[in-house]
Amino acid sequence: MSSVPYSIDPRARELIPKSKVLVVGAGGIGCEVLKNLALSGFEDIEIIDLDTIDVSNLNRQFLFRKEHVGKPKAVVARESILAHNPNIKIKAYHDSVLSSDYGVNFFKKFSLVLNALDNRTARNHVNRMCLAADIPLIESGTSGYSGQVELIKKGVTQCYECLPKPPQRTFPGCTIRNTPSEPVHCIVWGKHLFNQLFGEDDPDQDVSPDAEDPEAKLDGKNSVTDSGNIKRVSTKQWAQDVDYDAEKLFNKFFNEDIKYLLSMENLWKNRTPPKPLSWKDAQDLVTDENTNNDSSVRAVDMEVWSIAKCSKVFSESINLLQHDLKGKSYLVWDKDDKPAMDFVTACANVRAYIFSIAQKSRFQIKSIAGNIIPAIATANAIIAGLVVLYAFRLLVEDYEKCNSIYLRPKSVHSKFVLAADKQLSKANPNCYVCSPQPFVNVFVNVNKLTVKEFETELLKKHLNMVAPDVVLDGKGVMVISSEEGETEANNDKILSELGIVDGSILKCDDFLQNYELTVLVNQYEAVEKDDPLYKVVANPEELKAKESKKATENGASEQKEPESDEDDIVCMESNTSEDPQEGSSSKRRKLNEDSDDDIVEVPL
Amino acid sequence: MSEKQLSAVEAELYDRQIRLWGIESQERLRAANILLIGIRGLGSEIAKNILLSGINSLVVLDDGIVTEEEQLKNFLLSKDSIGKKIAEEVLLKAQALNPLVKISADTSSPTSKDGTFFEDFTIIIATGLKTDFLLKIDKICRSKKIKFIAGDVFGTFGFSVADFLNHEYFEDQVKLIAKKRAHDGTETKPEKETVKVKSEIIYPELNKVIILPNTKQSVEHIKKVKRRNEYFFLMLTLLEFRDRQERNPDISNKEKDIKVLQEIKSEILDLYGIDQEKLDDGLLELVFGEIVPVCAVLGGVIAQEVIKAVSLKEAPINNVFLFDPLTYSGKEETVG
Ligand SMILES: [Zn+2]
Repeated sequence: MSSVPYSIDPRARELIPKSKVLVVGAGGIGCEVLKNLALSGFEDIEIIDLDTIDVSNLNRQFLFRKEHVGKPKAVVARESILAHNPNIKIKAYHDSVLSSDYGVNFFKKFSLVLNALDNRTARNHVNRMCLAADIPLIESGTSGYSGQVELIKKGVTQCYECLPKPPQRTFPGCTIRNTPSEPVHCIVWGKHLFNQLFGEDDPDQDVSPDAEDPEAKLDGKNSVTDSGNIKRVSTKQWAQDVDYDAEKLFNKFFNEDIKYLLSMENLWKNRTPPKPLSWKDAQDLVTDENTNNDSSVRAVDMEVWSIAKCSKVFSESINLLQHDLKGKSYLVWDKDDKPAMDFVTACANVRAYIFSIAQKSRFQIKSIAGNIIPAIATANAIIAGLVVLYAFRLLVEDYEKCNSIYLRPKSVHSKFVLAADKQLSKANPNCYVCSPQPFVNVFVNVNKLTVKEFETELLKKHLNMVAPDVVLDGKGVMVISSEEGETEANNDKILSELGIVDGSILKCDDFLQNYELTVLVNQYEAVEKDDPLYKVVANPEELKAKESKKATENGASEQKEPESDEDDIVCMESNTSEDPQEGSSSKRRKLNEDSDDDIVEVPL
Repeated sequence: MSEKQLSAVEAELYDRQIRLWGIESQERLRAANILLIGIRGLGSEIAKNILLSGINSLVVLDDGIVTEEEQLKNFLLSKDSIGKKIAEEVLLKAQALNPLVKISADTSSPTSKDGTFFEDFTIIIATGLKTDFLLKIDKICRSKKIKFIAGDVFGTFGFSVADFLNHEYFEDQVKLIAKKRAHDGTETKPEKETVKVKSEIIYPELNKVIILPNTKQSVEHIKKVKRRNEYFFLMLTLLEFRDRQERNPDISNKEKDIKVLQEIKSEILDLYGIDQEKLDDGLLELVFGEIVPVCAVLGGVIAQEVIKAVSLKEAPINNVFLFDPLTYSGKEETVG
């Protein structure tokens, strides 16, 4: 007796019990995919997931129950599948797929790889591994009511990195520190304040007024030359010196610092100036309905707190966090840690009040601060069903019948609830990952950028390499080595010191990903305040085209939005450990002509 | 704390969906009492999704016995369920999906139930029923203002048909509030505001939607619709097959069943005045067995419609959903 389905290709029916399949991710889509595979007669499955189970997973990750909270997802998912059918061979790895244990030969063992991930870094990596191993990959993701499934096969389709993705939303540091205008700016500031007071020291997360703001100096006479208020002892040290006295902290951040900001007059010529708020005055800002004693979900989470309540929560959460900090060198902000979340809610709302920005409920602030993507069981079930229907087709190499499919919310423009593309998406000939000779132009300031910054920001963060080796072409200089200790001396050197100048060619090689990339270095200097620190462009023609019509959405160029400009840019980190599986592949793509609303992307 | 209010435990458990459909929708869901008829491949997928969503109660009605094949394809059953009553056997694993929902089993035959049995539910979901019985339940539902949705999976094909009566629902629309001028003349940023918009969809009765040969009913209102989806007629063919044979197409009887399906298909296409070529005979090869991933797709679509119907949030799709057995796309249609 077997559960291999009828009504599919008879050759696929034969191959199903013999094929080895890898599922990457055991979250929302992963659980569903595993169930569909097991109930369709697949008998040889491997599953990898780094994550452990959280209560908020249980509304959709149905292989897990309350008693599994805290346990590894891959392990529990395996047990759950075996409980239904003990005859299946299923291997679980509680590990990161980026680990060097899973090289190209590991991927080559499989007939198919099914991605059920939640973050771009891992998706990019598995994309490269499957290209290198030449194994078909099914990529999938959901976000709320929407979702998508696509095939990635070397030489047949687009790869995951053929089209540039919209960048993570970032905010200039001076917007956060000096001139917030949206709730999110205040929330980012609140998280930074948490880190300044309790977290690991990070100079990029300064919360004090930024006297270097170019806008503050526009009239040339620079009203703020004395930086006495800026360069003080570290915020954390100062907070410890005053024994985390809530009133003193409150007055410092919401009264004195705001008064200082007001003295930077240029900033307020065309803006509503902030209103400094003392601890004492905050106590009078109560709303009519005093919900202080109401502990219902609605009152605590859904309603906007009065400023008096914010100050009370500010004080209470600081006491708890100070207690938590004892015996540790720092705390890590976590949206599910009550005092940490309370603290950010209170701070963000007080700051919003000061800057005349709309205040938000704790529930809303948690969404933004924790970068939470809504996730439901139904969308995951639908997408995972399609993934396994395509798996049947891929076993018999029926690639032409695996066009991308999009699950979409109801639309007045189209009757398609599930819209399939009419053909496979063609690879981008200039793709810096899947083209035969991967190549990119990199625009950097060779007189400013260090080798370490080049490696971390550009090669790892932007180009998604894991362990690159970099050689300066023509000169044979080893710039970066993945072997420990070989090139550490280069870390703090400026690129030009090593002979890397405008026109230099770097050969970058990631052994794990079996990926070689040629990088042409172009000298570039940021001029404007919001200019990016560097740019990456796959095809120089695209750069020209782009600059002539700068306003096009998201662009087809590889140009990246500002990511980090010394301490000028801050970034909402995407909390990838949170919603691991259903993922959000945040891509914009075209659908077939019957479809009109074709965007599947992550709401911030 | 009142019964209507969500507890902190529920808020945490349902956090990721409350962020999508809001706390009021969640409160409506937790007041919903649902009847699910048929707990096989498709039924178990629907059950999973609505249990996870956090309804108040679920009654599972099915008089079937667990076969070895059914067990292998149904994740709510375990090895020692084989030979026992399916409605009772799914209870243990169904309850584990969500301990907060009251679940019960009814192992009697759906057709043995009298009208009053159906009256206590917020919504009724049916799979695997014959047409005359579907129409009978719809009539009862209409008289008691109960919403109704039915669906089936045949091979790689699947469909659903809904009767949500006169369904009022809410949608959130984001509006920008114009810039305000502050007292000192400076402008503040435009604020985004979410407003609730109420709309209504009126569903036709099921007997205006499912019209088969020999029912002696007019099909003119369906005939006059242009650009008809050919899979609607595949749906009618399969329902008529089940009505006549009192079973679904069976792979062990494949050639004979395809012949019967061909005959029914041509009768139905004649009834609706459609060229025989519009519905390729090759499709009839694809309708055998309940394919698990197709059940997952249809179970997801149907459960999402149930959630919309109960929570009154978001526009439901039109009354008929048809899953394309070749391209795996899925379209909503208005029929009737
Ligand atoms: Zn590519």
